[in-house]
Formats: sequence, C-alpha cells, structure tokens
Amino acid sequence: MGKQVKKGITRREFVKAAGIGTIAMGVAPSIILPGRSYAAGKELKILVWSHFVPRFDKEWYDNYAKKWGEKNGVNVTVDHIGLAEIPSRTAAEISAGAGHDLIEWIAPPSQFEPSVLDLGDVVKEAEKRFGKMHPLCRRSSYNPNTKKFYSFIPGWTIDPGCYRKSLWEKAGKAEGPVTWEDLITYGGKIKKDQGIQLGIGLSQELDSNMAARGLIWSHDSSIQDTKENVVLNNPNTIEAVKFMARLFKEAMVPEVFAWTAVSNNQALIAGRASFILNSISAYRSAQKEVPEIAKDVFFTPALKGPRGTGFNCEHVIYNYIVPKYSKNVDTAKRFLLDLVANYDQAMYASELYNSPAFFDAPVPSGDRGYPAVQGAKKLRDLHNAWFTDDPFALPGEAKGKLLPLKDAEKWSTNLGHPGPANPAEGEVFATFILPNMMANGARGMKPEEAVAQAEILTKAIFAKWRKKGLVGGKT
Amino acid sequence: MSAAGKAEGMGRDEQAGIRDNSGQLALLMIAPAILYIAALIGFSFVLAILYSVSDITTGDPTLRIIGFQNFAAILDNSVFRLALKNTFFFAFTSQILVILLSRIVATALMKEFRGKWLARFLIMLPWTAPISLGTIGWLWMFDSIFSPFDWILRYFGLLGSPGALLGPMQNLYWLGVPGLAMASVIIVHVWRLLPLATVIQLAGLGSIPKDLLEAAEVDGASPWRRTLEITIPLTLPIVSIAFLFGLVFTFTDMTVVYVMTRGGPIHTTQVLSTWTFFKGIEGGDLAQGAAISLFLFPVLAGIAILMLRMVRKSEVV
Repeated sequence: MGKQVKKGITRREFVKAAGIGTIAMGVAPSIILPGRSYAAGKELKILVWSHFVPRFDKEWYDNYAKKWGEKNGVNVTVDHIGLAEIPSRTAAEISAGAGHDLIEWIAPPSQFEPSVLDLGDVVKEAEKRFGKMHPLCRRSSYNPNTKKFYSFIPGWTIDPGCYRKSLWEKAGKAEGPVTWEDLITYGGKIKKDQGIQLGIGLSQELDSNMAARGLIWSHDSSIQDTKENVVLNNPNTIEAVKFMARLFKEAMVPEVFAWTAVSNNQALIAGRASFILNSISAYRSAQKEVPEIAKDVFFTPALKGPRGTGFNCEHVIYNYIVPKYSKNVDTAKRFLLDLVANYDQAMYASELYNSPAFFDAPVPSGDRGYPAVQGAKKLRDLHNAWFTDDPFALPGEAKGKLLPLKDAEKWSTNLGHPGPANPAEGEVFATFILPNMMANGARGMKPEEAVAQAEILTKAIFAKWRKKGLVGGKT
Repeated sequence: MSAAGKAEGMGRDEQAGIRDNSGQLALLMIAPAILYIAALIGFSFVLAILYSVSDITTGDPTLRIIGFQNFAAILDNSVFRLALKNTFFFAFTSQILVILLSRIVATALMKEFRGKWLARFLIMLPWTAPISLGTIGWLWMFDSIFSPFDWILRYFGLLGSPGALLGPMQNLYWLGVPGLAMASVIIVHVWRLLPLATVIQLAGLGSIPKDLLEAAEVDGASPWRRTLEITIPLTLPIVSIAFLFGLVFTFTDMTVVYVMTRGGPIHTTQVLSTWTFFKGIEGGDLAQGAAISLFLFPVLAGIAILMLRMVRKSEVV
C-alpha cells in the first residue's frame, strides 16, 4: 500500500489551525504591546443619559472616560441614551442579567435596590477623601430602612426660578418674585397689562412634577413625613391647591396643561413666559438662540410660601447604580471616585448645569481645561466664583446674574422631602399624581376633593412598596 | 438488492409518504410559523400572565405569586377605570370615522379624474410614514403656541379677537383642554388608519360586479338605493374586516397618546397601553403593568375571532 498523498486539509487540521490562530491573535497584542495586556482583561461599560448641554458629552464626558480608561488600563465604553429611555433600558438589563456595569439615572432609582450593589463603601471612601456628601444627595441615594446606598451621586442640578426682568420691572418688581404670592400680584399684572403669561406646568411631565412639589413644600406640606408616612391630605396642601387655582386664573393660560418637559424652555425663549421654574439650561439655550431674551432672563431662589418656607426640588440628580450582574465592580467603584475627584471639569463642561455632591472636594492642580480661578482650593470656591461671575455670560450681559443660585443647596431638596427618596415617591412621580392634583384644582375641582383623590392614589402606592420592605412608615 | 440499497429505498418511500400526505406536509410547512408565534408571542404572553399574578418589579425580577391582588388593585384605581373607558372611546370613535371617511375617499377614487395617481399617493402617505414621526408632526401642528391651525383660525378672524367665534384667546390650546385633546388624539388615529381602510374599501368596491350596478341603474334605482341595497351589503364583510383591523390597531397603540399628551391633561387621554407603561416601567410596578395590559386580552381575542369569521364569510361571498 503506497503512502497516501494528502490533498487540502482535513477538518481536524482546520479546527486545530483555526484554534492556534485564534490564540495567537489573542496573545499577540500582549507580546507586541506589553502595556495593553492589562487593558485587554478589563472592561467597563457605562450607560449615561444624553446631557441637556450637548458639549458636556461630546467635549468632556466621553473624552474623560476614554482617558481614564487609558490611564487605568481599562477598556471603557460609554453609551448615551435619551432621558425617557433610561427606565425601560435599565429594567431590560436587570431582567436579562447582563448589560452595563454603571448606569446613570437622573432621578433616584430606589426601586432597583434589590438588583443593585450597596455602594455604602464608595460613599464612605468618598467622604473620607472629599468631605461630607450634600444631605439632599444622601437622601436621594440611601434607604434608611434597609440601610443601603442603592446608588452613588457625584452631582446634581439646581432648579431656580427664571424671570424676564424687563416685564417684571414694568410691573413694579424689578428684582423678580420673592414669594409665591408675588406670582399672582405681579405675574397677574404682567399678563393683564403686557399680555405675557406665567409658565408653571400643570401637565404630566417632569417640570410640572417638580413645580408641584416646590409649591406644597413652600406651603409647609409634603407627600410623606420624615418616617415615610403619607401626610399629603392636610390643610396646607389644600391651601397650596387653592393658591394654584388662583395663580392659574390670574396669570396663566391653558397651554400649561399640555406642556412637555421642554415647553417652558420654549415659552421663555419665544418670549411667551414672564416666569418659569427650570434649571439654567433654558437660559443657556436662550444665550445661543435668542441672546436678547437671554440678556433679559434673571433668576430667583425658591419662592417663599405664606409662612416663609421656600424649597425647590433638585432639577436633576446624577445617580449611578452598579447592577449585581456586573463583573467589573471594583473598576466601576474606582471610576466613580475618580469622577468626584474631577468634578470641577464636569461643572465647567456643563456650563454650571452640574453642581457637586461633594462641595469640599479639592480642586486638582495643573491645567484643568478652564481658566484658572485664583485661590480656588475646593469645589465650593469654584462654585462661588463661577456663580458670582458667570464664565459663560454673553458680552455686555449684566454681572452677577447667577448670584441667587450661589447658596442653592440651602433651598434645594430631594424628591421625598422631608423624608428620603423611595420607590413609592418614585411611582407617585411617574404617575403624575401631584401635577394632576394641582391641575384638578386649577380646573375648578374643589381643592379638598383634589387632595383627597391624590391621597387615595398615593396611599395605595405607599402601601404596596411598604409590603416589599423598601419604604418605611405605617399603612 | 444490498442492505444499503434497501435502506435508501425505504428512505425514499418515507419522503414520498410525507410529500403525498397533505396533512403531514401542511404541518411541516406551518411549523416554522407556529414556532415563531410560540417563541415571540406565546412566551411573552405566558410571561405577562405570570407577572400579573406576581409581585415582580422592574428592580426585583424574583417571581412571587400573589394571586389576583394586582387585578383587584388596578380595578380600584380611578385612573385605570378612566383609561379603560378612554381606550374604548378612542378605538370606536376613530374607527367609525375611518370607515365613513374611507368609503367617501374610496368612492371618489373609483372614478376617473386628472391627478388620480397623486391623490392615491397622498392618501397612502400616512401609512408609509413611521407612526412616531407622523405623530411628532401632529404634535407640532397642535402646539400650544405655534399651532398652524390656530394661525389659520386667527387669520380668518375666528379666533384671537374680541367677539371671535372661538373666543378672544390667541390659541385654542388643542392638547391642554380635555375635549380638544381627545379630539386631537382621534384625528391622528383617523389620519393614520384611513389609508389602510381606503385600500380595503377600494378592493371591496372593485369586487362588486359592474353588471349588477348597471342593471339596477337601468331599473331606475336611485344612487342612494344602489348604495343601500347593493354596495353596502356586498362590501359589508370586507368593511367589517377593515373596522376590526382598525380597532385592534387603535386598542393596542401607545405611540399616539404617549407622544402627543402622555395621557394628559389630567389623564383625560390616558389609555391602557400608556397607563401600562407609566405604571409598569416608569413606576417600576411590572406586575400591575402586566395586569393592566392583559385586561384587553379578552376583547382583542374576541375581535380576532370575529375577524377570522368575517374573512371566512367574505371568501364565501
């Protein structure tokens, strides 16, 4: 029998060769580029919202994450999604048990507590390095019932009042409203004499939710107390609803019932609102699109209620969660701590939209990518300097316009005030109970009835989440 | 014959058997479709049933069965009851309008006129556009401040001046007034489903034997009588299919309401599909969300059965 001459290769040989090839492809970079061998073994996938200030993502966050990855030998991937997609995307990833290692929410994601890691150790380490976390951030990430930090917060956004100075000047209140009652007195006058209405949403959207909370808090009421008992149905809430009914009649038009989250921005920029409750993003947009309107926009802190109380809800609060399925937990935690250490850049890149959770964090030395601020050692110093003299002000714009926001942490509070944020507060928010309570009052329903209706819906939601052990208080 | 040859022969016989057995062949041919439905629809449906009787949340995918508590809770919720009512109202009102309008359009398109192809093209256009994009377009049309409808009304003096028919206000606030918001949602549903219904009506009208209509005309039957006694009875089965199709589309649609009003003002345009989303995904209560979404199942199943019966009936016709 002669020796068989092989033509081509057998399947076994092919598989063997392919295997060797694959291994070689994997090993080769570590032989050729020794420095990359560590990076190839480490991954960090981050899911973040598409920031309202576009340059924040393009010019800072993505670059920062990339450079952080290079420096730490980690392959970092950043995916951006729209604000509205965050809940469904997170739910899908948690359900599938796979996805991103870090997910950023802009509201407290307390309902995800059973499926995310307790980040208490990160908070502890951050406080050791950067000083105390702002209380509103703690209350937006910590569940006192389970004693877990379901998220970690590096920053938040202020929610001031924005008013058109020229209109308010003509009405005899050049410094803008100080109390809620001023909105009726002067806002009503502006509508009557100058034909420009006020813009506080009474719709099923984000800003209307914030405004309704600010109004009841400033009337010394709330949805829950500090122990998470529902206390919504009380004379102060009824007083707030009565106020809203008067405010609507005197100073607003029905457009507010149909508003989306961007409507108040649009109304301000279009010159169709004398006052809105929104972050400075509306003003920043006006600076770019209609400078003459931007120059006329000024700011107020939280308006005071009948007994002098004044609170506004944080506009956005950056909550990072680490799902339990993540295989890169330590890397994710390190990223979060370094993000706080570099939050000066986040503040600047967001055009002061982002405020820090750790005001006492030191400002790193060297070129930070923005004009150096003399004597600024902590983020607090930067915050004070920038809100005194806005680095993004237009040429010829009045100085010190952002000064009313300098002490915003004193009049800003969390969803769930005076208690913590929790899943019940989250569902009350998601199902628009408070803006609808206000809208019902504005449409003529008896305030007592509007509040009673809201209380029924709220109590059912609290009772349900309480059963799951995620909310305190009594049913 | 060798053993190998016998085996080969038997194999051929078996194959021939399947080819000759129409029952088995049909089963084989339909198997991929059944598998597809089982995997993509059946699995989700069973999962939804399981979720609805559990206390699952978006943040805790553990399944703990709690019976019918979720159904009791959603029935107790005033927003759910309103959403249920709205769902039926939007579906039936818009479909009645769709059938009436599509009959008018189809009748017009049966005639010969200049630019008929352009008219057909324009009528079909809404059906080809993605619904979300189309709805965003409508959202702008109904904008509180910049609505072109308001502009037209103001231009003709019907709005925005003292004594104007629709009031002295500069805008109607389409999406901010409950009645107008509901009307706006219905308008968009009608706009979206009119092309499909028109095409179905055209097919129905085209299938009526011309000699029958001509004979009736020769016998002196008026156009009304021809419509009532010939056209409508003969096209009824196919029109019913258009109606039922439209109902299913409207009942299950979430995009129109979500994009236009998010269920507002004060839930007056809330429907079951959007309420499912707000409660189940945004609110985190997946179990109640599933229970809400399942509420329409008996209605939709009934409609599906009716549709199938209509199809069979129209085949007979």
